Amino acid sequence: MTYSGGPMTEAMYYVLLALVNPNHGYQLMHSISEVSNERIKMGPGTLYGVLSRMEKDGLISLAEVDGRRKTYEITQEGKVALRTEYNRLKSQIADGKMIEEGENENE
Amino acid sequence: MKMSKSVYKVRPNDYWRIGEHENWFEEMAVKGLYLKKLGKMFATFEKGEPKQMKYRIDISIDRKIPDNQLEMYAESGWEYVTRDKFFYVFSSPVELNAPELHTDSAEQSFTIKKLNQKLMRNAIFTVMATMLIIGMLTAIWFLDGTPIYVLIEGWAIQQTILAAFIGYTAYTSLRATVSIRALRKNLMEGKPINRHATWNKRDRLRSTFVVVFTIVIGLSAVFPIVQLVKMKTETLPEENGNLPIVRLADIERNPDLIREEAEYMNDGVDWANRYSTNWGPFAPVQYDTDEIGIVSGKEWSDGSGQYSPSVHTKVYQLTIPAMADRLITDLVKWHWFDENKEDYVEMNHPNLDRLIVYEDAEMKKVFAAKGKGVIFVRYHGNANVQSIVDEIERKIMLISGSKNLSEKESN
Repeated sequence: MTYSGGPMTEAMYYVLLALVNPNHGYQLMHSISEVSNERIKMGPGTLYGVLSRMEKDGLISLAEVDGRRKTYEITQEGKVALRTEYNRLKSQIADGKMIEEGENENE
Repeated sequence: MKMSKSVYKVRPNDYWRIGEHENWFEEMAVKGLYLKKLGKMFATFEKGEPKQMKYRIDISIDRKIPDNQLEMYAESGWEYVTRDKFFYVFSSPVELNAPELHTDSAEQSFTIKKLNQKLMRNAIFTVMATMLIIGMLTAIWFLDGTPIYVLIEGWAIQQTILAAFIGYTAYTSLRATVSIRALRKNLMEGKPINRHATWNKRDRLRSTFVVVFTIVIGLSAVFPIVQLVKMKTETLPEENGNLPIVRLADIERNPDLIREEAEYMNDGVDWANRYSTNWGPFAPVQYDTDEIGIVSGKEWSDGSGQYSPSVHTKVYQLTIPAMADRLITDLVKWHWFDENKEDYVEMNHPNLDRLIVYEDAEMKKVFAAKGKGVIFVRYHGNANVQSIVDEIERKIMLISGSKNLSEKESN
């Protein structure tokens, strides 16, 4: 599946977010937990799948190869996509404000 | 004593059932048997201390799973164990509390996409190949309506067993495609792999059946080899020896009958006067002969030239005597050339189990069975049918099995 600007999966979003700082494998999994406030514990299989797909789509690129270890970083294109997704999510949240308002009324 | 002992188990035949395999490996580890290798039919386990292990199967369509993927898995506590084609097995001790390989079902469905396409192409190819093979085999077996004849001659037995195997492969390939497709759909909808699925008795039975089936196919591979060894064609000797073959001289009973100089020689064999041997699992002794002679100074009664009687014979010693009856029926069909069916006359003979005779001027055909022996004679000449039947009666004793002479058939 090539990324064509539609909504991202949660895994894609957090990997992009974590790759604002170049990172690799195990540490990347940690920083994903960090940026998601421990909410996301991404398995290595999911992470690998997301990385190889996003690399193909040009959202991230290899920053360094050290033996079997590959360090990735977000590309300009990735930054744009992340920004777009962020705005999309933000408006989603804004649109959902009525839920909280509804809750307040019931109290 | 060896440190570790290997244990072989018949593995589930349905290689695509991921949850069931993972479960099975975990059950085995609890018994102290650690998966070491995963073959097409057997899994190898190594004996060790019983332990709670987690096993996960990951799919990679690449020729070899990338190193950095293995590295990433190892860093998270998942060690690569073995693979069966696209299915990679990883393990991790339960106490290590390693994270699941896949924490996102929708993402996992992408790993299956290419496999799904590959299996689909495979299935289409094998199903088409199977239909083609079935079509060809059906023609071989049934086009002439003589399946028993084809069975006895034994040309098509091995191909048929092989075709059954290819057919089974196509069936398996179809099931794999359907299952993987369903799995992908489930994952896309966020339903994870069912890790509580287990093998039932039927699955185990089927897997064992596949092993037995494969052994049968392996054994059947000797059929064509035996046939090649047993098949030979040689010039018929002038003297008969112990061959259970009806000879032209014995039918003609004319001292002036001589064999002409060979017209067509190939590989040192006179093909007008030859005998061929063949072998089949249902008829281990088979002869096929042609013979022709001339009588100088004698003419055909219609004046068409020098009298030159000929004989063609087929001889079978069957493994199962009960097949003789059907073989005769098929032989009649096989050697029937648009003649009037009523001219094939069923006769009673005190020394033969079955006797069918056809006669039209110089052309005579005799089909006879006794015990394990079946003989067909097609004769073109002036001698009468009775002399042919008498000769068959004499020769069929050598192969009928009723008088222990069967061992003497070769010279």
